[in-house]
Amino acid sequence: MIEVVLNDRLGKKVRVKCNEDDTIGDLKKLVASQTGTRPDKIRIQKWYIINKDHITLKDYEIHDGMGLELYYN
Amino acid sequence: MANRTDPAAKSIRGTNPQNLIEKIVRSKIYQNTYWKEQCFGLTAETLVDKAMELDHIGGTYGGNRKPTSFMCLVMKMLQIQPEKDIVVEFIKNDDYKYVRVLGAFYLRLTGIDSDIYRYLEPLYNDYRKVRRKSPDGNFILAHVDEVIDELLTTDYSCDIALPRIKKRWTLESLGALDARKSVLEDDFEEEEEKDENEQDGLEEEVAHEKQDYYRGRSPARDRERDYRRDSQRHRDRDYDRDRDYDRERGRGRERDRDRDRDRDRDRDHYRLREEKEYGYERDRDREREGRERDRRDRERGRRRSRSRSRSRSRDRKRRARSSMSPRMRGAEDGKPPEESKKKKGKKEKDDGTDHLDPEIAEANRIRASLGLKPLKL
Repeated sequence: MIEVVLNDRLGKKVRVKCNEDDTIGDLKKLVASQTGTRPDKIRIQKWYIINKDHITLKDYEIHDGMGLELYYN
Repeated sequence: MANRTDPAAKSIRGTNPQNLIEKIVRSKIYQNTYWKEQCFGLTAETLVDKAMELDHIGGTYGGNRKPTSFMCLVMKMLQIQPEKDIVVEFIKNDDYKYVRVLGAFYLRLTGIDSDIYRYLEPLYNDYRKVRRKSPDGNFILAHVDEVIDELLTTDYSCDIALPRIKKRWTLESLGALDARKSVLEDDFEEEEEKDENEQDGLEEEVAHEKQDYYRGRSPARDRERDYRRDSQRHRDRDYDRDRDYDRERGRGRERDRDRDRDRDRDRDHYRLREEKEYGYERDRDREREGRERDRRDRERGRRRSRSRSRSRSRDRKRRARSSMSPRMRGAEDGKPPEESKKKKGKKEKDDGTDHLDPEIAEANRIRASLGLKPLKL
């Protein structure tokens, strides 16, 4: 189980517990349940690399405590 | 200048009509080349020409959420705000289904509740196929009536949040609308008449088949026949039969398939009986489910072996929760032994919602509701 931090630099900062083999799509659903936006409106980025929905966190090498950028579509 | 609403346009729901589409999507539309090139200076007449060229509907797609031309035209309609007559013309026209959907969408966004129901419900009869662009860029198949249903029942479609409208029964109680008259009502009445005529004939036929293949009369069988007399069942069966008839299946072939199904069900029934932990009640429920399942199978024309394997898998997975995703079902066999050690003899739940740490339990609860596996600790 890892915990990632998502920050949208406008006041929303969420910490989400997830598994390493969750996909980005699952992470978006978890974030959506915490922030209240729709999961398809969320875009997770790491410095211009937009993370795609079907790839797991492990493949993106997202580790425990890592910060991701939260943007909206 | 090109993005300003017509100054003569009235405000919708208290705001600039273009604000019905939210800010981010709106900006994406303004930056779109289709908007800039094709939608500049459109009037109601030229809009019709552009609408006739549409060949798909959809919201935003792709990695950077590009809007479809459908959305650009919706935006354009919001901007110029055509008269209600024009919109109704769009909806009534029969030749161009995408123009119809465009008109329906615009009416859903801007019309008053009773108008929406009045003009959109006739479109339930239109079952032509439309192409829909999915968010990942591929096209998927939809039908006009599915789209209309989405417009009337959900509050989000094509990446645009649809304004809230009153429920139908509210409007009916206010007297603004008449009760809903389904187009299929006439068909149902016809079937009920057919029902009465053919009920006796069919009962005899089925009884003959059963006596061929069943050793004795089990109570379940008698009960089944009672169920069969239930009018609800009648309607379902006749409806199925009619549909099969429409598909030009000979009656003889149907009977053979029926015979095969009965044989299967018999085997399943005896297998079920052997499992002692299931109560008598469950057998009966299972029978009923099995029958409905078999009927469904007949409709779809599935293979015999598939229905059998499905019953087997249903036995095994009977204890699985309905909220579990298919992934979770696969992992279920491996999970319980591990977790029981952790729970120290407590009755463990497969999705870890009763973990000692309340935070983790809460997280697992959310994951279970989303259909994800529990956290691996």
